[in-house]
Amino acid sequence: MATGGSLVGSVRAEPRSFNRYINNGQTEETVAFLTQAKLVRVNRITDDVEPWLAESWTEVSRQSSVDGPQSEGLKPAPGPVYRIKLRPGVTFSDGVPFTSADVLFAFQAIYDPRVTSTLADSLRVNGQPLKVRALADHDVEVAFPSAYGAGVRMLDALWILPKHKLEPALRAGTLAQAWGLTTPPADMAGLGPFVLREYRAGERMVFARNPHYWRRDEQGRPLPYLDRLTLEILPDQTAELLRLQSGQLDFTHSAVRSEDYLSLKRAQDEGHVHLLDLGIGLDPDWFWFNLSQPAAGSKPWLRALEFRQAISISVNRQAYTETVFLGAAAPVHGPITPGNPTWYWPELPGGEYDPARAKALLAGLGLTDRNGDGMLEDGQGRPVRFTVLLQRGIAAVERGATFIRDEVAKVGVELVVVGLDAGAVFQRWGSANYEVIFHRLLFTDTDPAANLDFWLSSGSQHVWNPAQKKPATDWEQQIDTLMRRQAASLDREERARLFREAQRIFSEHVPILNFAAQRLFLATSARLTNATPSRLIPLILWNADTLAAASTK
Amino acid sequence: MARYLVRRLTFAVLLVFCVSSLALLLVGLAPGDYASELFGGIGANPALVAATRASDGLDRPLGQQYAVWLGRAARLDFGNSLLYRRPVTELIRQRAMNTALLAIGALLVATVLGLPLGVLTGSRRNGGTALVRMTSILLLSVPPLLMSLLLVFLASRTGWLPVGGMTSAATESGFGLGTSGFSGWTMWARDVAWHLPVPVLALALPISAMLERLLAQSIEDTIGAPFILCAEARGLSRRRLLWRHALRVALHPILSIYGLIIGTLLSGSFMVEIITAWPGLGRLTYDALRGRDVYLVAGCAAAGALFLAIGSLIADAVQVAVDPRLRESA
Repeated sequence: MATGGSLVGSVRAEPRSFNRYINNGQTEETVAFLTQAKLVRVNRITDDVEPWLAESWTEVSRQSSVDGPQSEGLKPAPGPVYRIKLRPGVTFSDGVPFTSADVLFAFQAIYDPRVTSTLADSLRVNGQPLKVRALADHDVEVAFPSAYGAGVRMLDALWILPKHKLEPALRAGTLAQAWGLTTPPADMAGLGPFVLREYRAGERMVFARNPHYWRRDEQGRPLPYLDRLTLEILPDQTAELLRLQSGQLDFTHSAVRSEDYLSLKRAQDEGHVHLLDLGIGLDPDWFWFNLSQPAAGSKPWLRALEFRQAISISVNRQAYTETVFLGAAAPVHGPITPGNPTWYWPELPGGEYDPARAKALLAGLGLTDRNGDGMLEDGQGRPVRFTVLLQRGIAAVERGATFIRDEVAKVGVELVVVGLDAGAVFQRWGSANYEVIFHRLLFTDTDPAANLDFWLSSGSQHVWNPAQKKPATDWEQQIDTLMRRQAASLDREERARLFREAQRIFSEHVPILNFAAQRLFLATSARLTNATPSRLIPLILWNADTLAAASTK
Repeated sequence: MARYLVRRLTFAVLLVFCVSSLALLLVGLAPGDYASELFGGIGANPALVAATRASDGLDRPLGQQYAVWLGRAARLDFGNSLLYRRPVTELIRQRAMNTALLAIGALLVATVLGLPLGVLTGSRRNGGTALVRMTSILLLSVPPLLMSLLLVFLASRTGWLPVGGMTSAATESGFGLGTSGFSGWTMWARDVAWHLPVPVLALALPISAMLERLLAQSIEDTIGAPFILCAEARGLSRRRLLWRHALRVALHPILSIYGLIIGTLLSGSFMVEIITAWPGLGRLTYDALRGRDVYLVAGCAAAGALFLAIGSLIADAVQVAVDPRLRESA
C-alpha cells in the first residue's frame, strides 16, 4: 500500500464547531471520525463490534460487580457490567497519554445537563445513563442500568475527547462553547488518525497525519497512510460532481443522486472517475399518517387502518423504483431494508400491488365514486382528498410524491402534494398539524436496539404519534413489549424472532408506508485506493486511516 | 452639499435599521428555529430542543428578543451568531471582503464589456451589432443559477480554470499554480486571481448585457437629440461626437442604476457563491437562513442594505460629478 500523499474530499456544510458532544451534523460527525476515536467501533462493512481504544472487555456477573471488593460506590445495576481494558501506550495527538480518566470524563461531559450533548440519548438504556468507574489507569467498569442485548455496541457512540484539554471548560459550565470555529487547531487534541491543521471559513478544512496515532496495518506500518486530507466545503452537489470529474476532488460527501448516475457512468467509462457500488441503502422513504390526533371531524377515514392499507397496496413499488430511482433501488414495505442483512426479513408479509383490493378496502369505508367522475367521495359527497407535506428541494422525494399521487389517483383518491422548507415541515409535525408527511429519516445504527426511539411509543422518533405517555393502541403496546424484550435479550436468535414479530405487527398496521430503498453509489477519483465505503455517513471516512492515494500528482 | 450628504446618510441608517429588523422578525416568525434545525428536525429529542432554546433565549417572545437585539444593534453590536458562536460583525467582515473582491471584479468586467458594446450597438446597425444584441438578450434571459453551472461545467470540461473555490486545496498535489518562485501573500494573490474568472464572469456577463442594452437605447435616443445634430453640423468627427458628447449624456440613466448594481453585487449572490463555492456574504446569508440563525440573518441583511446605500451614494456622487445641473441642485 502506498503511503504518504494527500486526498481531497468534500462536505456539504460548514462545521458549526469542532466539539462533537454538542453538534451532531454530518460535517461534525465526519470531523470526529478523522480526529477522534471511540472505545469500540462498529465495523461498517461487517456490522461487527471491534475493539478500538478498548483492547478487550468481559462481561462480569452483576452479582460480583455489586458485591465484590471493587464495587464500592457503584449502585446495584440490574443490567450487564463490563470490565473494559483500555489499549496501553495510546496517546492523544499532543502526546498526552490516554487513560481511564478520559473515559470517565467523556461520560461525565455527555451526561452533564449543562452541556445538552447530542450524544446523551444514544448512551442511555430506557432513559437511564450508564455508570462508569475507573478500576485502574487502563481499566474501567461500565454498568448498564438494565439488560441491553446489543451490549458494548452502544459504546460506538462514545467519542473520547481529551480531559486535559476540556475539563476546565466542563467545570466552568462552558463546555458547550468549547472548541468553536475560532479555536486554534493547536489547542485541540484527539485520538483519531488526523489532526485539524487549518480551517478556512467557507472554503475547507485541512487535516494532517496524527504522528501519535496508535493503529498500525497488518504489516506493522503506522497508520494513517495519507499525510494530508482536505475537505472542501461544497454546498452544491452538482458543482461537487463537476469538481470530481475535473480531477479537483477525490471523493464526494454523499451518495450519487440517481439522476447523476448516467453522466458519472459515462465519466467512468472515459476513465475520469470510479463508481463504487455500496449496495442498497439502510434508509427507505417514509410516508406516514398523523395518528396523534383524535379522529378528524370531516375525514374519519384518514385514520382508518383500511385506508392506510389501501394506499399501501395501490402503489406499484417495482414501478416506483424504476420511475423515482431509475431502477437503482429495491422495493421495500417495511422500515428495515435489504441493506441491513442482519435484521432484514425478506418474508415480511404485505407490500403487494393490488389496486382492486385497494378499491374494495376503500369501498368498505364508504368511499365510492358517487358522481361518476372516476374519483371517490365520502358519505357526504366530499372528495376523498388528503395532503402530503414534504421538504422542498429533495428531488427523489418530490418525484416519489408525484408517483404516489398518480398511483392513488387510479383508485380514486386525490393526493395533494405540498412542498415546504424543512423548518415548516418540522413545525407542522411538532404541532401535529398535518395529514401525511413524506420524508427521509436516517437510522443511526443497524441494530434495532439502538433505534428504540423509533419503535417505542414513548420515543421522540415514533413519528406518527411521538412521545406517548402510554401506548395509544393495542398494537403499539405489543410492539413496545416485543421491542423491550428484544433489546434486553442476550440471545441472538431470540432477538431476531422478537424483531420479526414486531415487524409483522408494524407491517399489518402500516403506520408508515415504505416504498423503496435507494441503491447507493459513491463516485471517487482514480487516485483514491483502499477505500471501504459504507452505507452510513460518513460513507468513506469511517475508515480514513487506511485510505491511500495511488500517486501524488 | 452637506445637507445632501446628511440626508443620504440618514436614509442609509434608516434603510439598514428597517431591513435588518424586518429580516430578524421574518426569520423569527417563519416556522422552525435554530434549535429544531440543530437537532435534526423531525424526531429530535424535545427536551434537548427546549434546553437549547432556553439557553439561547429563543424561548422568549419574539418581541422581547427583538427589543434585546435592537438595544445591542444601536451600539453596533449585532450579537453572536447562533450557528458559529462568533460575533456577527466579525463573520460579516470576513465574508464581505471576499464578496467585495468578487463584486469589484464583476463590476470592472461588466463595465469594460458592457459600455463599449452599448456605444457600438447604439450607434451602428450591421450583422456584428445584431449578434451582440442577440447575445445580450440571451445572457439576460439566462438565470444566474444556469449561468454559474454553465461556466463551472466549461471549466470542468476544459480544465482551463479551477471549477470553484477561492483558493486551491493542495497546490503540491497538482491543483493550483505550482510553487516556483512564489510564497506567502503573492502566492495567495495569484491563486485567488486564478479562481476569480468563473464567479466573476457568472456575475458580470448578465450585468454587462444589461449595461449594453440600456446604453445602446440611450445612445440611440441621444444621437437624435438637437445638440448632437448641431455638433455634427459644425463638423465634429463622428468618433468625437459619439464618445465625447453623446456618451456623456447617454450615461445618465446608466449611472442611476449603477448604485443598485454595486449594492447588489456587494450584498453577495446566493447562487453564484454557492455553485462556485466562493466564501462570500451571499453564502453566509444562505447558511444563516438554512440554520435559522436569526442574528446572523439580520446582520447579513444589515450589511446588504448598507452596501446598497453606499452603492447609491457612489452612483449619485458620480452623477453629480458628470452632470453640472445636478451639482447646482445638490
